[in-house]
Amino acid sequence: MQRKTHPLLIAFAVLTFLFLVGPLIIIIGASFSDTSFLTFPPRGLTLHWYQNAFEISAFKRTFLTSLMLAVGGTALSMCIGIPAAYAMARYRVELPRFLGNVFVLPILIPEIVLGFSLMKSLAMGINLPIMVSLLVGHALIVLPYCVRVVGASLNSFDFSIEEAAVSLGCPRWKAFFTVLLPNVKAGIIAGFILAFITSLNDVSVSIFLTGPGVSTLPIQLLAHMEQFFDPTIASVSVLLMGVTVAVMAIVERTLGLTFLTK
Amino acid sequence: MPPRLRAWALATPATLLVLLFLGLPVLSTFATTFGDPKGPFATYAAFFNSRFRTTVLWRTMEVALITTIVSVAVGFATAWVVAKTPGRLKSLLIIAAVFPLLTGVVVRSFAWLVILGKNGILNNFLIWIGAITEPFSMLYTQGSVIVAMIYLFVPLMILTLVGVLEGIPQDLTDAAASLGAKPSAAFRQVVLPMAVPGLIVGSVLVFTGSFTSYATPQLLGGERQMMMGTFLYQNAMVRFDWVAASTVAAIMVVVTLATVLVMSKLAHRLNPVAG
Amino acid sequence: MTVSLSIENVTAHYGTTKVLEDLSLHIAEGELVSLLGSSGCGKTTTLRLVAGFLEPTAGRIMLGDRDLTRLPAHSRDIGLVFQTYALFPHLTVRDNVAFGLKQRGVSTKERNTRANDMIDRVGLNALADRYPANLSGGQRQRVALARALVIEPPLLMFDEPLSNLDAKLRVDMRVEIRRLQQANGTTALYVTHDQEEAFSISDRVAIMNAGRIMQLDAPEVLYSRPANAFVADFVGFENMIPMKAIAESGDAVRAEMPGGATLSLPKDTFTVPAQNFILATRPEGLLVAPSGDGIPTTLGLRTYLGRAYQYQCETPAGELKANGPLTQPFESGSNAVLIPQAEQCCLLPAEPA
Repeated sequence: MQRKTHPLLIAFAVLTFLFLVGPLIIIIGASFSDTSFLTFPPRGLTLHWYQNAFEISAFKRTFLTSLMLAVGGTALSMCIGIPAAYAMARYRVELPRFLGNVFVLPILIPEIVLGFSLMKSLAMGINLPIMVSLLVGHALIVLPYCVRVVGASLNSFDFSIEEAAVSLGCPRWKAFFTVLLPNVKAGIIAGFILAFITSLNDVSVSIFLTGPGVSTLPIQLLAHMEQFFDPTIASVSVLLMGVTVAVMAIVERTLGLTFLTK
Repeated sequence: MPPRLRAWALATPATLLVLLFLGLPVLSTFATTFGDPKGPFATYAAFFNSRFRTTVLWRTMEVALITTIVSVAVGFATAWVVAKTPGRLKSLLIIAAVFPLLTGVVVRSFAWLVILGKNGILNNFLIWIGAITEPFSMLYTQGSVIVAMIYLFVPLMILTLVGVLEGIPQDLTDAAASLGAKPSAAFRQVVLPMAVPGLIVGSVLVFTGSFTSYATPQLLGGERQMMMGTFLYQNAMVRFDWVAASTVAAIMVVVTLATVLVMSKLAHRLNPVAG
Repeated sequence: MTVSLSIENVTAHYGTTKVLEDLSLHIAEGELVSLLGSSGCGKTTTLRLVAGFLEPTAGRIMLGDRDLTRLPAHSRDIGLVFQTYALFPHLTVRDNVAFGLKQRGVSTKERNTRANDMIDRVGLNALADRYPANLSGGQRQRVALARALVIEPPLLMFDEPLSNLDAKLRVDMRVEIRRLQQANGTTALYVTHDQEEAFSISDRVAIMNAGRIMQLDAPEVLYSRPANAFVADFVGFENMIPMKAIAESGDAVRAEMPGGATLSLPKDTFTVPAQNFILATRPEGLLVAPSGDGIPTTLGLRTYLGRAYQYQCETPAGELKANGPLTQPFESGSNAVLIPQAEQCCLLPAEPA
């Protein structure tokens, strides 16, 4: 009983999806091209650029930095974000209204402004080590995911379940871990993944905070592109897409992808 | 422990992180702009008196606005089709929209370098079909930035609007039909007004996102198509003029906040019951 | 303007699943007919077919002399009240009610007048400028009703309109619905799973099961004279005893039940329909007595119902429920007989195995 959709509209949607997927396919094609400038379709196939990508130590080093930041920043953000989300959902009356807005600030303030301001205040102002500044910056930009995505599932959580656990003799802190967290697992996984991806791909904050010897992969890619324009970038991009595919597979397994439209 | 204390104890670490490491630094950036000996607004006067700087601002606005309008139009039409697609095919389409969204902005901008470059695929293709004889550079134009931005933001728009359209109960469109509304009337009078909040949220995300973007204008616009993001970076890290950089930053914050405020007012006016 | 609705030999599918089979139903002018059944019986499908949200795979739907079968939903001119009310959340009460008039090209002035009149009639004039989100369930229900009535449709349809209301409001609202329907003399089709609701407001009720109408009759007939075992069970004939006629004497038929007990059924009060039949009764149709010509039983648990005692009874034919007088309570474990009361029993033809 689906209403019919106009064929022109369907054709338009098909074109949109070609527009969305096409460029990514082009990158994949380019990464196997055996010409040194990027063409598509590739004339001959080679794995040379992948070999190159693995041989350039800066890529490996910065990828590890990015990974550390994404895991560390997200973990830090979750550790302080989940309690905050819990407090706001559970103690609505006790906390002032504006507190919710505080956690929107990292979305509201443009990332590039945050990056610049952090550079000025932390890296230059109080001479914080590069890695620490980066960690703080990444924790900040992913905090909204931790607070709001987890908060969304907490808002539909029935806190009388927690009280039931306490009335059955379970200490409050234990009820938090054994009753509450398992019930908002989906929100936590969703928040973690969105946060992780955001951190991994971040440019605007990192570009200001990276410094001598410490860089992240996206920044390294930008720097590389300014000097060389060869398919090595394409092969690194394809490898990064691999990471994305892996993450999406995890999402699909645990939550189903439809949660992303909510 | 009384509930109020417990609540604050739980919320304090995250609140402190935001206030200390976002609030203070951003405020200090603002403070920098008022410290000019020639008067508190001298830096802003300098900005708006400079032909070059205002051009950057208007160009950024123009790019963001075009990106937003095209993304809304393309996103809405596509989301409409996706929302009506049954079962497995729909999941596939959602994946096709999510995947680019999860792929980094550097990778996605890079793809357009490959397509639009002098030795790029589009030039190859145009020569091959005989439309042109010599490759020409399509990069570092306003057009190249806009295309890449649209590419960046259309998936976001699609996903936002699919959620919105799916949230409109079938019963409502059925009710409209039973009351005599033709499909076009039901669309105008029921579906569209109910989608307004989503359209506005999506537009704000796209506008502020493209207005403050850095990587895409850097890669596809270069020096010739300087935008606010790249201009801020250049002032800060190339010319080391932190006052000028802070001024650009402050203007970006003001424009972003104003957009959010105006659009949420507008949303409220158009659909008084939403949120 | 009142017209009749004819559903003629309609078959419908969801995908490849057949959900309605050769269904026919005629609703006379000004009549209110309910479709009653549990979920999945096809009642809502029938309504959606008439509304035009579904297309039948065979058959015809006529409203008066208009053939609706292939007409798009928006051209059918039917007032429909949804289970969810389906009020437009972005429109005020008045604009919700005026929506249908707007589609008919009625001028702003006139449609406001007519909408206000209708809002008045359902008693919501103080709330005309509110949004649905700020109304109670009962108020929303009234808006939905007003919205369907204001277009003065020749046919009104209700899809479980009261299922989201609390019990007290349900009773008030169904009286209101019946009053408005009768005042306008509008033909109406009413879908519900609630037997009391259907019986209380309908001229006739169709009890449905698995895409077919099992019996279509006035509520009084359905209640006391179900035509088959399904309907009997549905309207509360809790005891269903399969029986077999074994002998016939002058004024009675002797019948045997599982377990070997026999019962004599006087011909002047019982009409045996076939050799194999079912004796269907409600608990009050079996009288518990110390002795007599009845079903021998050992009484089990006794519960107090206010007007009688009810007993769980062990009999050769299985466990039955029977009522006994308040004046003569029996102890659990005592032996008694259950005497069928002719006016509260039904003899139904046995279902083909």
